[in-house]
Amino acid sequence: MVDLVELAERVVKSVMKLGPSDCDVIVTDSTYYTADIERGSMKQSSAFKDPGVGVRAYVNGCAGFSSCTGHDLASIRKAAEQAVELARSGSPDKDFKGLPEKARPAKVAGLYEKRVAELEPADVVDMAISMADGAGVDKRIHSVNATVSAGSGEVALANSNGFSGLQRMTSFEAIADMVAKSGSKMFSGIDGCWGRRIDPKALESVPREAREHAIMGLKQTKISTGEYPVVIDPLAVGFVLGETIGIALNAESIQRKRSFLAGKLGEKLGSDLLTVHDDPTLEWGSGSFSFDGEGVPAMKKVLFDRGKLKTYLYDSYTSGKDSVRSTGNSSRGGSMWTFRRPPSISSSNVVVKKGDAGIEEMIRDTRTGIYLRLTFDYPNMATGEFSGLMMESFKIEDGELGHSLRQSTMGISMLDLFSRIDMVGKKSRVAFGVTAPALRVSRAKIGGSA
Amino acid sequence: MEDLAKHAIDQALKLGAEFADIRIESAAGINIVVMDGKTKTLNVSRESGCGIRAFSGGAWGFAATNILTQASVKAAAASAAKMAKAARAKAKVKFEISDVKAVRAREEYKAKEKFTEVTTEEKLEYVMSQDKAMRTLDKKITSTNARYDDLEAVRVVANSFGTLTHTTERWLISMCGAWAKSDGIVQRGHASNGSVGGYELMRSEASQNLGRQAAEQAVRLLDSKPPPAGKFTVILDHKMTGLLAHEAFGHACEADAVIAGASVLEGKVGDMVAGKGITMVDDPTVSNTFGYFSYDWEGVKAKKHVLIEDGELKGYLHNLESGSRMGLGSNGAARSQAYNSPPIIRMSNTYIGPGDWKKEELFEGLKHGMLIEGAQYGYVEPAKGQFMFKGDEAYEIKDGEVGQRFRDASISGLILEVLKNVDALADDFVLTDAGYCGKGGQEARTTDGGPHIRVKNLVVGGLA
Repeated sequence: MVDLVELAERVVKSVMKLGPSDCDVIVTDSTYYTADIERGSMKQSSAFKDPGVGVRAYVNGCAGFSSCTGHDLASIRKAAEQAVELARSGSPDKDFKGLPEKARPAKVAGLYEKRVAELEPADVVDMAISMADGAGVDKRIHSVNATVSAGSGEVALANSNGFSGLQRMTSFEAIADMVAKSGSKMFSGIDGCWGRRIDPKALESVPREAREHAIMGLKQTKISTGEYPVVIDPLAVGFVLGETIGIALNAESIQRKRSFLAGKLGEKLGSDLLTVHDDPTLEWGSGSFSFDGEGVPAMKKVLFDRGKLKTYLYDSYTSGKDSVRSTGNSSRGGSMWTFRRPPSISSSNVVVKKGDAGIEEMIRDTRTGIYLRLTFDYPNMATGEFSGLMMESFKIEDGELGHSLRQSTMGISMLDLFSRIDMVGKKSRVAFGVTAPALRVSRAKIGGSA
Repeated sequence: MEDLAKHAIDQALKLGAEFADIRIESAAGINIVVMDGKTKTLNVSRESGCGIRAFSGGAWGFAATNILTQASVKAAAASAAKMAKAARAKAKVKFEISDVKAVRAREEYKAKEKFTEVTTEEKLEYVMSQDKAMRTLDKKITSTNARYDDLEAVRVVANSFGTLTHTTERWLISMCGAWAKSDGIVQRGHASNGSVGGYELMRSEASQNLGRQAAEQAVRLLDSKPPPAGKFTVILDHKMTGLLAHEAFGHACEADAVIAGASVLEGKVGDMVAGKGITMVDDPTVSNTFGYFSYDWEGVKAKKHVLIEDGELKGYLHNLESGSRMGLGSNGAARSQAYNSPPIIRMSNTYIGPGDWKKEELFEGLKHGMLIEGAQYGYVEPAKGQFMFKGDEAYEIKDGEVGQRFRDASISGLILEVLKNVDALADDFVLTDAGYCGKGGQEARTTDGGPHIRVKNLVVGGLA
């Protein structure tokens, strides 16, 4: 069994002998199991073991990165030489002020669940079957599709400032996609759970929610173009806000003035009801870690405090350029980290503060409007303008959830979205790396086909 | 590689698999990113590994390893066979993989100038030149991003029917993004060019002009407005027509979605799903395109797929499994992102064929509509029958004349209606837009295209 930390430290030493000013090395050893259900039948069981090494070296502030699969020493040596050679061939960059100093990783609970690590492919298959069975019997359900994935492994990181650390991590994901059909009408409902442990409640709620929304979507209607209040489900909040925060609050986008949030630090941009944290210390969060992708200890930070923008997301390069401390937002990609790409800035777990409204109350209070459950669109990060399809949405009529809307779009600037939040749900859920309640926006432009 | 493949397949069969296949790959590539005149990323990746599938009575086992020793590959084969056996016991739907004629082939993608023989310095110089072209075009340009990627991979595909294909694949792509600012407004422009082949692509006029194109678009968009929301008659350019073909129809034609009961096109082969005169094709055999391949990732020879002919749905895209289950055989549409992902059904070069209108004629008599140019992204849920795609630039059309410029026009439509609402196709066909398509967590290189077309009743999403 390879000692990953020892290997990472050894590679750092050998890279530094090649002459760079700084370097860091990631060594991973992860195993993934997946089971897929297709139309109610067990379809595929997969296993993948993925050891690898990534080397980043700096010469005159320029970074070169090279990676190789496996832990074979000859391949690692080649990657190390390549990284240094690449760093030499790039342009000097005075804005690089160095990699993070040695620091003690934060104590974070819930990165690793033994139960996930001990799963066998057959266990994952059983969970997927149990999810599919959770769809129950309903003659309107035309197709039941589900996927369960479990990952476990170790990641070691070491740098030339003496930092070295090891994280044991697990990940667990379950997605259900149910299709309902009635006559010529067809609709699908999707739901999922994402985290670092098995959540037995979610394994029951995910197929149930997917089934209910597939059936709900069979009653369809159209809407006229106009302005409406919109209740945004945590699923849609998760996708839109996760994308927006990860890119528009990224200090690189800010420094290069590519983000609509550049120059707005300290300004009140949202309603008093909008408080958002980035929290890598969240127990069992899929984005949690004890040190970030460059070895900075995990720290919780407030991004929006009652609507006021409090900080951007920094790594070592951007924090050096702005002469501030890194916020520990260097990411190595995904919940299990990868050796294949150099680190980049990302949010960890985005957490939107809960309010005090029940979902029924939000719908009742809206009277006439829209309930947006799912979209896969994101705003133009330069302008902050959002214009996208409401992939799953429902009309709110007389304070009740009505039929699903076909071919309808929503348009709103994100700054308007932030400031027009006038109700916040009291119940949160995790979706796409964001823990959020439902939010109500007082008005948005809806494009309809009626 | 061939010996490893044989050992793996023998092992899977010995342990009870009814069918087994393997993809062994060794790949290396570079990614160069220059931002605002400085190198941001210089990344060389080297990957090798294999993915083995074993099939048993209606279920698959898939195991991947990136350690290519005989022991490791045999262990992965045993693992795949074991998982297939266990999954078979739980599978409610039973089927077989129909025997197909073994394919033996060896192919190397042509390149006049292999990029493996071009130095990193020269590639960096090209990326720097595009970055500079953006920064020097106009003082309003505030930030730039130029990127170059290439990959050369050797892939062996073998299966228990005796197929053995050996492909040396090489592709490259360059992309530019520019941000412009004026009066507090920031806009972004972008341009890209990619294909299979060699470094000669980067020496072409199209690649040499990417930076300029991206910067010009960013500056042009500074005087744009958010589009109005509502239902419009829309004229789409080549790229948007290609994106429409890909998102609105292509994904719903993938037979795995049909088998999963998740496509509104299930049971509709032979039905009129588009207006007369409309043809839609997916064709991986078009040379010098980003979506090109000659043998698919199951070793099946690639071929042109006519999905819609004169408005009628002719068929779906198939792999070995869907071809067996529908009794049609594979038509060579299986692709994997890499050795560690199982092959799934994918598009390649997707387009709508040309009509006989002149482009100008599409505008004539159009009282109120919109022209949409340049493709950003799109997505679809074939089970919901809805899709969206977003253009770069849009223009109001009033009484046949092009007027006010808009940005970020998103369009939504219904799969079973949209192609029936196409009322005119121009004769100016172009297959041009290279990019990546995501499905099931895997990316595939693709190209989209078509002529200018006119579509009624599309919903444009906007803020105004």
